[in-house]
This record gives sequence, structure tokens and C-alpha cells, in this order.
Amino acid sequence: MNIHFNQVMPKPLSSITHGPDSIWGRDVELNKGEHILLNASSGKGKSTFTMTCLGLRKDYTGAVLYDGENISAKKPSEWTEIRQTKLSVVFQDLQLFPHLSVGENLLLKNNLTNTYTEQELRDKLTTLGIGEKWDQQCGLLSMGQQQRVAILRALSQPYEWLIMDEPFSHLDKENANICLQMIVERSKEQDAGFVLTTLGDDHGYNYTKELKL
Amino acid sequence: MLKEILFKNQDRKQLFIAMTGAFLGMTFLLSSIHYLIKVNQFGKGADILGPNTIIVQKKVTNASTLGMTKTDFTLKELDKMRAESFVQDVQPIVSNNFNISFRTDDKLVPYFESDVFIQTIDKDFLDVKVKEWDWTKESDYVPMILPRDFLVMLNTFMAAEGIPQVSDELAKQLNFKFRLRDPDGNKEYFPAKIIGFTNEVASILVPKPFMTYGNDNFSDGTPSKITQIMIAGKESEFGLVENMLKQRGLESKNAQMVVGRLKSVVGTLFIVVLAISIIAVFVSGLVLIQYLQLLLSKNAYEVRTLLRMGYAPQELIKRFTKYFGVLFGIVGGISLIVFLLMKLYLDTVFESGGLYLDSSISIWSIGALVLAYGLFIWSSYRNSRLGIYSEY
Repeated sequence: MNIHFNQVMPKPLSSITHGPDSIWGRDVELNKGEHILLNASSGKGKSTFTMTCLGLRKDYTGAVLYDGENISAKKPSEWTEIRQTKLSVVFQDLQLFPHLSVGENLLLKNNLTNTYTEQELRDKLTTLGIGEKWDQQCGLLSMGQQQRVAILRALSQPYEWLIMDEPFSHLDKENANICLQMIVERSKEQDAGFVLTTLGDDHGYNYTKELKL
Repeated sequence: MLKEILFKNQDRKQLFIAMTGAFLGMTFLLSSIHYLIKVNQFGKGADILGPNTIIVQKKVTNASTLGMTKTDFTLKELDKMRAESFVQDVQPIVSNNFNISFRTDDKLVPYFESDVFIQTIDKDFLDVKVKEWDWTKESDYVPMILPRDFLVMLNTFMAAEGIPQVSDELAKQLNFKFRLRDPDGNKEYFPAKIIGFTNEVASILVPKPFMTYGNDNFSDGTPSKITQIMIAGKESEFGLVENMLKQRGLESKNAQMVVGRLKSVVGTLFIVVLAISIIAVFVSGLVLIQYLQLLLSKNAYEVRTLLRMGYAPQELIKRFTKYFGVLFGIVGGISLIVFLLMKLYLDTVFESGGLYLDSSISIWSIGALVLAYGLFIWSSYRNSRLGIYSEY
């Protein structure tokens, strides 16, 4: 699935002067399988980009197209299908269920598509360094641990695009690299693309495209 | 897991209030509709006359005895009564204006003959099949409704003669004959059969065409007078009919008045209870809607997050509707059980008061319960849908 930003300008950002290489107000194509870094400082609209890309915000001019189709015309049933199989996301505020355990948070997502077995999820959690947290209530984890749970949850479904809004902001370099490696492997497995928004750190990865805000 | 997420932020106190309101509403709805129907049915089929029908005549006073006032009705008086809002219909009881005798004509019973007094009433006032209550000169027999006392008298006569007595059903099989005679002594005979009995009329009732034939062909020439009329009152408005009788100086058999009055009072009482129970069901429905909206707003984050994860809105709507469907199903079930227990008690109370109601459960009351339950489910579905799609 290709995502096209057709001169999209979020209304809250329309009064700000954007740089010549900013994606706002221009035609931008996110091609299938691309690994994209979206680098911008605070307040430039990284979360707005994520929400607009996912069809969760509609306060913009221009149009967002999935394979040439305007997403504003999509019905709830189509969005359900897209969110289950085509678009996955790691929100900046993670959007986990704090009173559920780590395992329950993962299974809640995984059960929609039965992507992994429970053992596979446990193994991946171990790879991310929090294997022993399976039964622990999510709200009691540190922010860094919660970020890893949110990343694994996002990977527990088939997708064509993975949109991540500052997913490593609370992780040290080593854990961020482990996560990034898992994301790259999972995306390559499915010939999927991803967009990683960041405050400047590229985590030492060679991206196919870099976007600015 | 979904249940744990969607229903964790609950205000149990408010839920309890909604459920209690629904329970009271459903229980009283069941009870009031059931008893409203049963009370209205009371008296139907017990007599061949309609259940809200009374026969009235003018009170006989000293003045009427001396001929100063009339005891017969004019057509204008009947029209005035018909115009009252609480009166369903008024029809004159036409009496014979000719000489008529009644005799047995069957081997099963001994010969018996007597001059009789016959009357006719409109078929709308009778609980008989319309087809049965008709007569033409070609008819096999004249259908007649006999005063029950007449059968008692016949049986007394049979017992005295040492002949087996006859039941209602057997009496309907027997053959009788009417003999009509004009002032010149010309006679005509007509076979007759009993089609029913009544406690309310003291004369033999015959179809109107037969009476007309008799009055046209065998009359002594004096015009027939309307001395009795039938009044059908509307359900639950018998008190107004009774007032009208007082105002117009009319009287009726006391038993008819008592039953009518009783039905009217009990019926009105249950209409009040029905109105209250409909309000209770409505208010509990509103509390439910408010509770559901509050629940959805308290769980807005959970609903929003699940939708963003890829859960279908219909799946979440189904969960909320099912949850409230089960809750109200339990409440409806408890209401039904409580109603049945209450019915056991109330039926004995009514019986001890002389009101022998049919003990079967009214299908309409169960229908009302199902309807109320359906409305609760529909309301849950609608509000879940609105709340969930607002998070989309």
C-alpha cells in the first residue's frame, strides 16, 4: 500500500512558517516497503503526522490517499480491516491498558489475527529484555519497559506500514537498537514499510528515506 | 478480557437504581395489564347478554300508577342517552303486541302450554353468533333465549310428574312451538328452539323479525310501548352510566349494577397502576440510558484504544448490548416470578371479594413484558452505537 500526502496542511500548523523541505503543504509519497525516518524538533507536528497518516485526525486541508483512495471516504468496517492487517502503530503515549498484565495487553492485539503463539510472544518479550514481566500489570512497569511492550504489540499483527511516534524516547541506546532490529526484521518479513519519528537520533540505521517537518 | 476492559469503571449504585426501577416497572406492568384484561373479561360468557349491558326501566312511582307520569320511553329520550360519551349503545326492548302461547312439542317431555310474554333485543347486545339470532318465515325454527327461571320452573314441573329433569344442553335439543293468535281467532304455529339462557331478562327473547311479523299480522291494533331499554356502557365508565340512571329516574337489577360498578372501580384502579408502571418503565429506561452513557464516557479511553487496535465497532456494540440484555433478562425473569407469586395471592384476595377471575395468564401481559424488554435492548443498542461511533 502506498500512502500519498497530497498538499496536506494541518489547520493548527497552518500559521507556522515551514521549511522548504517540510512535508506540510507538499506532495509526498510513502512507497511500499520504504524505511522512513521522520526527523523533527518538538512542536513541528510529528504526532500530528502520525494521527493524520492513520486517519485519526481530520483537521487538515489537502488529502491523504491510500493507493490513490482518499481516506476521508473510508467506512468504519474498512478502517477495522486496515487497522487489523495494513497499518500498525506505536503511539507516543503508548495507549496500553495499565490495569491489564503485559501478556494480556499483547494477547488482546494478537488474538485479532492470531499472528503469534503465546510462546512466540513470550520469546520476543525475552529478546526485548522483559521476558519476566509477562504477568506483571502494565501500569507498574517503567516507561522504557512499557515502550517495549507497545512495540511488540504493534508487531503482533500483519501490516504494510508501521507508524511509530518516538518509540524509543525512554530507551537506552542498547535497548533501542534491539527494538529497531526486531522492527526491521519483522517489516522485511512482510515486505512492509515503517515510519519512525524522532527528535534527531537516527539510531545508526540506514533509512531509505528521510522526511522533514 | 474485553469484558474486564469495557465494564471496569462501573457505578454499581446507579446500576442498582436502574435495575430496581426496571424491576418495579416490569412487575407492575405485568400485573396491571393482566388484571385489567381479566377484570374486563369478568362476566363474559356467564350470561348470554354482553358484559357491560344493563336492562333498565323507569321507576314506578305513585304518580305513574295514577297515570300522571309515563313509564314508557320516547325515541327522543333514547337519542339523548345515546349522545352521552360514556354510552356505547341504547336500544329499546320491543314487547309483543299480540296473543302468543308457548308449548312443548317433544316426546321427551310432557305436554305443557302457557301464554307467555315475549320481547326482542338488538343482536349487538347478545353474546350469540349473529347468524343464529335471526328468523324468516322459511326458517326451521324460531331461536329463543329463555329466562333461566323458566328452566327451573320446567324442571320443577318435570320432577313433580316423576320425569327426569333436563340440563341446559338437553333443553337446547328439545322442540317447542309458539302459537300466535289474532283477535279474530286466526292462529299460526311456529317451531321454536332454545339457543341460550339469561338471568337478566324475565321474558322469552326472540329475534326482531319474528316480533315484527307477529306485531304486523296478529296485533290487536294498540301501539306497542317501549317500557324497557338496554344500555351498553363503555369499559371503566360504569359510574357515569349509574349517575345518568339516577338523574333520569331509571332503575336496573341490583346485581347488574354491582358487577358493573365493581368492574368499573377495579378497572380504573388498574388503569392508574398501568399508567404508573409505564412511567416507571420509561424512567428506568432513561436511567439506563444515562448509566450506559456514563459507562461509555468513563471507558472512552478503552473503547477508543480498542478501535484503534482494530476491534470492530459492531463487536463492542454487541458486548454492551449483550451485557445489558443479560441484566434486563434477569430483571424481567425476576419480575415474572414475583408477578406469579403476587398473582397467587391477589387471585385469592379477589376470590374472597367475590370476583372470580379467570386464572390463566394473559398473553398480553407477557407480550408487554417482552415489549418492555425489547425496548430496553433496543435502547441499549442505540446508545452503545452512538457512544462507540463517537469515539471512532
